[in-house]
Amino acid sequence: MIRPLLVRREKPLPGGQPLAFVLGSSVALFLGAALLWVAGDDPTEVYQRMLSASFGDLEALSATINRAIPLALAGLAVAIAATMGLWNIGAEGQILFGATAAAWVAQIGNAWSGPLLIVAMLVGATFGGALWALGPAIAKAQIGVNEIITTLMLNEIAVRFVRYLINGPWKDPEGFGFVQAPALPDQSELPGLFERAHIGALVAVAVLAVVGLMVSRSSWGYELRIAGSSGATATYAGISLKRKTLAVLVLSGAVAGLAGGIELTGNATRLTETVSNGYGFAGIIVAALALMRPSGVALVAVLFGAVQVGGQSIKAIGVSDAVSTVLQALILFGVIAAGVLVAYRLELAKAKVHSL
Amino acid sequence: MDADPLVDPLADPLAVELIGIHKRFPGVVANAGTELKVKRGSIHAVLGENGAGKSTLMNVLAGVYRPEAGEVRVLGARRVFASPSAALAAGVGMVHQEFRLVPTFTVAENVVLGAATRVLHMGTVEKQVADLAQRFSLDVDPQRQVWQLSMGERQRVEILKALWRAAEILILDEPTAVLTPQEADELGSIIRQMANDGRSVIFISHKLHEVKQYCDEATVLRGGKTVASSLKVEDLTSPQLAELMVGDATHTIRRPEPTQACATLLMVENLHALNNRKLPALRDVSLSVHEGEIVGIAGVAGNGQRELADVIAGLRNALSGSVRLFDRDITNASARQRFRAGLSYIPEDRVGVGLAVQLSITDNAILRSYRQHRRGPLIATDRAKAFCAEIVSAFKVRAGSLDQRIAELSGGNLQRLLVGRELTAEPSVIVASQPTRGLDVQGVTAIQELLIDARNRGLGVLLISEDLDELLAISDRILVMHGGRIAAQYVGVDANRSAIGLAMAGEPA
Amino acid sequence: MIVGLAFPETALIGLLFAAIQFGAMIYLASLGELIAERAGVLNLGVEGMMAMGAVGGFVFAIETGSPWLGLLAASIVGALVAMIHGLFAVVLGANQVVSGLALTIFGVGLANFWGTDYEGLRPDVQFVDVDLGPLSDIAWIGRIFFQQSPLAYLALALGCVAWFGLNRTRGGLALRAAGESAATADTAGHSVVGLRLFAVAIGGALAALGGAYLSLSISPGWTVGVVAGRGWIAVALVIFGAWKVRRVALGAFLFGLAMALPSRTESFDLPWHPILWSMLPYLLTIAVMIAGALILRNRPADAPAALGVPFRREER
Repeated sequence: MIRPLLVRREKPLPGGQPLAFVLGSSVALFLGAALLWVAGDDPTEVYQRMLSASFGDLEALSATINRAIPLALAGLAVAIAATMGLWNIGAEGQILFGATAAAWVAQIGNAWSGPLLIVAMLVGATFGGALWALGPAIAKAQIGVNEIITTLMLNEIAVRFVRYLINGPWKDPEGFGFVQAPALPDQSELPGLFERAHIGALVAVAVLAVVGLMVSRSSWGYELRIAGSSGATATYAGISLKRKTLAVLVLSGAVAGLAGGIELTGNATRLTETVSNGYGFAGIIVAALALMRPSGVALVAVLFGAVQVGGQSIKAIGVSDAVSTVLQALILFGVIAAGVLVAYRLELAKAKVHSL
Repeated sequence: MDADPLVDPLADPLAVELIGIHKRFPGVVANAGTELKVKRGSIHAVLGENGAGKSTLMNVLAGVYRPEAGEVRVLGARRVFASPSAALAAGVGMVHQEFRLVPTFTVAENVVLGAATRVLHMGTVEKQVADLAQRFSLDVDPQRQVWQLSMGERQRVEILKALWRAAEILILDEPTAVLTPQEADELGSIIRQMANDGRSVIFISHKLHEVKQYCDEATVLRGGKTVASSLKVEDLTSPQLAELMVGDATHTIRRPEPTQACATLLMVENLHALNNRKLPALRDVSLSVHEGEIVGIAGVAGNGQRELADVIAGLRNALSGSVRLFDRDITNASARQRFRAGLSYIPEDRVGVGLAVQLSITDNAILRSYRQHRRGPLIATDRAKAFCAEIVSAFKVRAGSLDQRIAELSGGNLQRLLVGRELTAEPSVIVASQPTRGLDVQGVTAIQELLIDARNRGLGVLLISEDLDELLAISDRILVMHGGRIAAQYVGVDANRSAIGLAMAGEPA
Repeated sequence: MIVGLAFPETALIGLLFAAIQFGAMIYLASLGELIAERAGVLNLGVEGMMAMGAVGGFVFAIETGSPWLGLLAASIVGALVAMIHGLFAVVLGANQVVSGLALTIFGVGLANFWGTDYEGLRPDVQFVDVDLGPLSDIAWIGRIFFQQSPLAYLALALGCVAWFGLNRTRGGLALRAAGESAATADTAGHSVVGLRLFAVAIGGALAALGGAYLSLSISPGWTVGVVAGRGWIAVALVIFGAWKVRRVALGAFLFGLAMALPSRTESFDLPWHPILWSMLPYLLTIAVMIAGALILRNRPADAPAALGVPFRREER
């Protein structure tokens, strides 16, 4: 009997994660092509269209960047928590609640000037996201309730909360019977950069840089890494795990909430329950692919943004945009598999199971 | 599973024969041509220092590891075990140091795991397990859940598991480490009964008196090689065994003259505390450590030593009582404040408490002092590295680069890094919990010398150890903990092994 | 809240009927997740596996003309999709949270892709509610308990099988051991990887049955988003039921009630908006987790001790 056995390489293959990334993504694209081919579509045509729609010209690039913003911030939110060994699966809900908070600010500040309103909305969104993460943070810090499940549950609660608002208290009186939230004031739209890109990209880059520096270089981030390695070591070094857990989950929620604010002010005309659009979940994959490092998150987010924008474009030729969803998951699976091959080698051991 | 047809299993007087076993792990050669012969119906000691390759060899015999070369013969037949269960099927059962039990299962469920009928009738199973336990005088209740049992009881469950699988050969890996001397004697009579029943027992130990007391023959390993094979234990004296075990590296620590006890550095009074399960772990503990003194704490694992160290170091809250450093009450101070006040701590779990395994050597070196290496809100990497380099060179930590993850360091180097970091801060008191456990001979000596040196410089050392020999060798005073209390106190020279043993069991003379 | 029957009798019967219907559907998925988690594998891919089961069951039912063949196909599809999680989380030891979420994304995406051509088709194949003659005719009880879809009784039967399998067989003992202490199960001679793969596959098959219940019985047909977050309810239910087959069954009825209630709040004159009622399962789960953390501090937790921890034997 021949048994496959994974043996750790004495030295991992040169190239490490980037190599795994390229290898894994190629495999994913190949599998995606196979899927398209089985479904009777032309893979080359689909991929070409996806590529030109996401990177083909400036306009395409701007669409990709717009998509990459919430992905990067959600990925950052997940990565911050993961540095301490915590799983924030609730970015989806935090984005949504952040957007809700921003919409609320917009109702209050209807008459404010543009810059003031935009800043207030983004700040509101940040607080909203932080607030949505506060419950799980307290439960985890004080009595050790598993944050994976609480944050997950709060995603579903956030969707229903927004649905309730739109159907009830916030129902647009001028909606002509449509169930929708009122339109945002015009001056709340984020100023543009080029084509469809808006300054949300700059905000995201700034947040990534500051938070990335905080996590990797500051003493606050050092404490975070210690706590992530072992809670007991953190206590030994005089770091309060409770305070750290609270701080890191709330910060994580705040970053996700900000994404909701940017999404609302940058790309939406009114609050909807789909404003988070799966970015929170995709952010987990983005963070995992970036090995939970803020520095890698931006890069992966742009790639995923491109895949999503590409996915939208192929509807025009009658191909389901679900292809792009499938591709995102396949890329993760491919990169994990390639990562294993980088660190391990496959040995086919002839197992002489028992005696001679 | 079938025996070699050419060999009559009953003709061979050997239960186990290991020939030229080689087993390598990345960076370590654990077995280099190790040999072992065990007679049927005997209790055979495998003796050696930590790191001599005992456990690896036994894991090879028990099917946990596959050797790169060598032959395993069990009851006369050559075997290649693909898994522990294959070894079990061939009659080899092993009781690991860390018990392999499911805490939420009952005793009966644990015993039959892996060898149960397709459909379980728990009543019948419990009855069968109770009968088996009775036959070998193993006192356990099959219906209780394992997490409620004492360590001694859990060990009996492990032995029952092997007997349930009809193991002919039972391997016990350092079985007495978690037992009181009295429980150990009970274990001795249980395994004697098994040997009389025709089974063979392999008893791994590095404690000479146990080998003398419980075993028939001994094989001594050193550095992965067999240095003496199947010696008759009754013909040997402990010093002879010791010499074989340690080889030329024999090193007796010269204990300096006792200093005239002067200022009290650490003072613990009427301390009460709970363990992780919220049960009382410390009951009215009082002790003091003076300048230039090593105070040893003896005791069987789980009698409050760990909690005592944690409470003193500020990792666990005291329910009542006080901890004073010089004249300062630090009972409610944080771990960081205590460290700043001059209290260093070498915790029992080096990796996981004292060191963060996923981080680099530098990150670990600055664990206590990172706030002093700041430039604004950021950590000044250059200063941190310089600080780390000092520790690495002063305490001879062998490392490739300072950015290397400490996961890649050996146990001895990890401990040098940890002890170095704690001593660099120039503390006045150092609490050291099991500081030499699991280290090789050089590592043990180096750490012990560092502690003695600290003592000679006037530091107070509180040394918590389960190794009585270590305590007897370097402590000025020995306190014995039992059931969360200080059960007895001995001053260096009058410390007497059997008296301490009785005190560890809660029966001070 | 139910005082003096101030509402039509039929509304209450309808509510209880729907509670059992939704409860049985979610119970199937939860049972699968329970089995996987008892073996030590957290699979957050339930939503994706349910979507695949829903589309797979529907497509095969249409193509073969038999809802039963559709159901069989759904369970096979579910098990196959689950093996992706098996490969990554169990064999390769990848992080279970990441792998499971990726499976949800993958499953939902692939289901939508697969279902494109079947969207909105009115099926002529679907499960018809049973008619047990006199039993079904009993007032109240007949409609609530004996006129359900065959799948409801299948869920009940599978629950019994799962209980017996987990608690009264050698394999169940081994599977639970793999979830509590993988090294122990391994030493005892069980293949931890094998047991976990088996549990994940069964979990996928059961989740897919839950999905097929939706597309072949509750709301026959395929539309994008038909699973609508019920996979997350299934995950919550396992925790609510403390990883125990019978308690999860009880919880399934409660959660079924909570799922059935929002569309009926008016008949019962309930306060608050129906959408607020739809938050109930999630709020209940959070409440149970908090209560559990507050109460069970001195005992081992209900959750399998090795849940989420990959197992690899020879590593040093």
